[in-house]
Amino acid sequence: MRSVLRTIPWIFLVLMISYGCAAISDRESVPSQHPIKFDTGRPNCLECHDDEVSGALKPYGSFAHTAVWLQEHGTYASQGQNLCTACHSPSWCQTCHANVEELLPSIRFGNRPDLEGPPHRGDYIVQHQIEGRVDPGSCVTCHGNRNNETCSRCHL
Amino acid sequence: MRVFRKCRNRTLFAHITAVSIFAVCTIFSATGKAAEYDLSSRSYLNLYERETVAGQTEQFASLYEYLSLDVWEIGERDLSFHLYGWGRLDLGDESRGGDTNGDLSSAYLQYRDPWGNRHGKLGRFFLTEGTTAEMLDGLLFKGLLWHNFGASVYGGAPVENSIIAADEGDAIFGGRIYYVLPGVTEFGLGYFFEEGDFQGDNREEFGGDLWIRFARSLDLAGRAVYNIVTSDFAKHRLTLRLVPVHTVDLVVGTEEYQYKDLFQKSLHSAFLPPTVNPDDKVQSLFAKLDWQTSEKLSLQAGVKSISHDESDPGEATRGDVGLRLKLDGSVNLLGLSAAVQTADLSENEYQTYRGWLMGSVNRFSYSLDALTYLYEEKIDGEDTTYQVVGSAGFRFSPKFAISGDVRYTQSPRFDEDLAVLLRADLSLDSSGGGN
Repeated sequence: MRSVLRTIPWIFLVLMISYGCAAISDRESVPSQHPIKFDTGRPNCLECHDDEVSGALKPYGSFAHTAVWLQEHGTYASQGQNLCTACHSPSWCQTCHANVEELLPSIRFGNRPDLEGPPHRGDYIVQHQIEGRVDPGSCVTCHGNRNNETCSRCHL
Repeated sequence: MRVFRKCRNRTLFAHITAVSIFAVCTIFSATGKAAEYDLSSRSYLNLYERETVAGQTEQFASLYEYLSLDVWEIGERDLSFHLYGWGRLDLGDESRGGDTNGDLSSAYLQYRDPWGNRHGKLGRFFLTEGTTAEMLDGLLFKGLLWHNFGASVYGGAPVENSIIAADEGDAIFGGRIYYVLPGVTEFGLGYFFEEGDFQGDNREEFGGDLWIRFARSLDLAGRAVYNIVTSDFAKHRLTLRLVPVHTVDLVVGTEEYQYKDLFQKSLHSAFLPPTVNPDDKVQSLFAKLDWQTSEKLSLQAGVKSISHDESDPGEATRGDVGLRLKLDGSVNLLGLSAAVQTADLSENEYQTYRGWLMGSVNRFSYSLDALTYLYEEKIDGEDTTYQVVGSAGFRFSPKFAISGDVRYTQSPRFDEDLAVLLRADLSLDSSGGGN
C-alpha cells in the first residue's frame, strides 16, 4: 500500500508537466487507426509511404514485417506501441503475451502455418526440456511470473 | 494459499468486468454517439483423449471462447476502450483442475492526445516500457513533454500467476524518461519497482534502451537491465540491423545474462535453485537473415551460438534455414525449414524439419503442416517427435468463418495422439482500419 501511495506524487508530477508543456511539444501523434484495413500477409509500409519519419518517430522502413523483424519486434514495441496499435488491436499482442493461457497459440492458429509468431509448435512440452536447459533466459520473460500453471505438473 | 489466490483473481476478474461494462455503458449513454468498434469472437472446441496412470481413458471436449472488443472515438473524443479475455467450459471430462476457467487479459480505457503521442491508460493492460514488460491493474501516462524529451509513469497492482507457495507481488510502480531525435535516435532510462516476495526481496531494476540509425540502412538497438536488489547487471542485448535494400533484412547481435540476477524476479521454481545453478552466466551471439529473392520466393537463415560459464549445460550452436514460396498468385503458400543444434552435451542436440502448405479455393481454405524433431539422445526412450496438422475451413462471409483441424502426434509423451479442434471466427466492426 505504501508503494501505491508513493506513486501518487509521480502521477501528479507527470500530469502537471504534461499539461504545462502541451503547448511546447507539438509533434503530431500517430493516428489511432490506419485508414486502410490490410489483407492477411506481411505489410510493407514502403509500398505507400516513403522511408520518412512517422509519428512513431522512426522511419517507416524500420517496421517492414520481415521474418527477422518479427523476431526483433520487441525492440520497437518497447519504445512505443502507438504505431503498432494503429493496425493491430491491443489484444493482438496478448495472443502470445498472456497472463494465463491454456490453449497454445500454435494450436489456436493451426490453420495458419504461415504465421511466424505463435511459439511452441509440435509437442513442445518435450522440446522445452532442451531449450530450457540451453537458454532459459528466453523462457523467463513470458513464464517467469505469468502463464505457468501447466508447469506445476512437473516443477514443484 | 493457492485457493486464496484463485479466489482473489476471480473476484478481481468480476470487478474489472463489471467496471468496464459500466464505464462503456455510461460513456455511450452520456454521449448518445455511436463510436467505432471492432468485436471479435473466436470459439474453439478442443477434442482429445488421455490415458491416466490407472489405465483409464479420459475424453475431453473443452469449449473455449476468446472475446475481443475495441471501441474508438468514444463520445467523438480521443478516448477508446479495449477488452480481451477468454473462458473455458468442459463439456466432457474435467480437463485442468476444474470444469471452467478463464482470464481477463486486458480491460482498459485509453486517452490519446493528438500531439506528442501523449496517452494514458486506466485498467488492466500489458505494459511495455523500455526494458519493462508486465501486466498490471493500474494506470499509465506517457508522451513527449518538452521538445524531444518524453516521460512515462505507471503504477498499480501486478497481474501475475504463481505456481510456488510465495505470494505474488503487491504493487508496481515505475517510469521511463526518454529522448527522441526523429529518424535518428531514441534512448531511454527506466526505473521499475515491485513490492513482493521475490526470493525474500522486492524487485527493483534500472533499465536502459537505445535505438540509433547510423545510415539509411543501418540500425543499432540495445537494452540493458540492472538488478538493484542483487547489485549487478541482469541482462543486456545489442543488435545491429542492416537493410541494404528493402528485400534484404540482416540482424547480428549479442546477448548476455546471469541467472541469479535475471531470475530473481521469478515466481516459477524452474528458474530457481536447485533446478538451476544460480552462478551460471550465458553469452550468446546470433545472426538472422531474411532475403526476398523474388516476388514468389523468400529465404531465411539464422545461427545462434550460446555458451554457459558452467560445463553443464555447456555450449550449443543452432543453425536454421527456410524458404517460403508462393505457388499460385498470392494465395497458396509453401514453406520448408530445417534446423540443427549441436552442443557439448548430446542431450542438448537435435534436428528439426518442417514443411507446410496452405491455400484456398473459392470460399474453402486448407492447410497441411508437418513437423519432426530428431533427438540425439533419447527422451523417455524415444528419439523422435512427429506432428502433422491438417486443416480445412469455409468462409461464409468476410465476417464469419468456420474451420477444423486434425492434429496427430507421436512423441516421447505420446505413442500416438489424435486431437480435433473446431473453430468459429466472427468479426464485427464499424471501422476501416485495424487488424
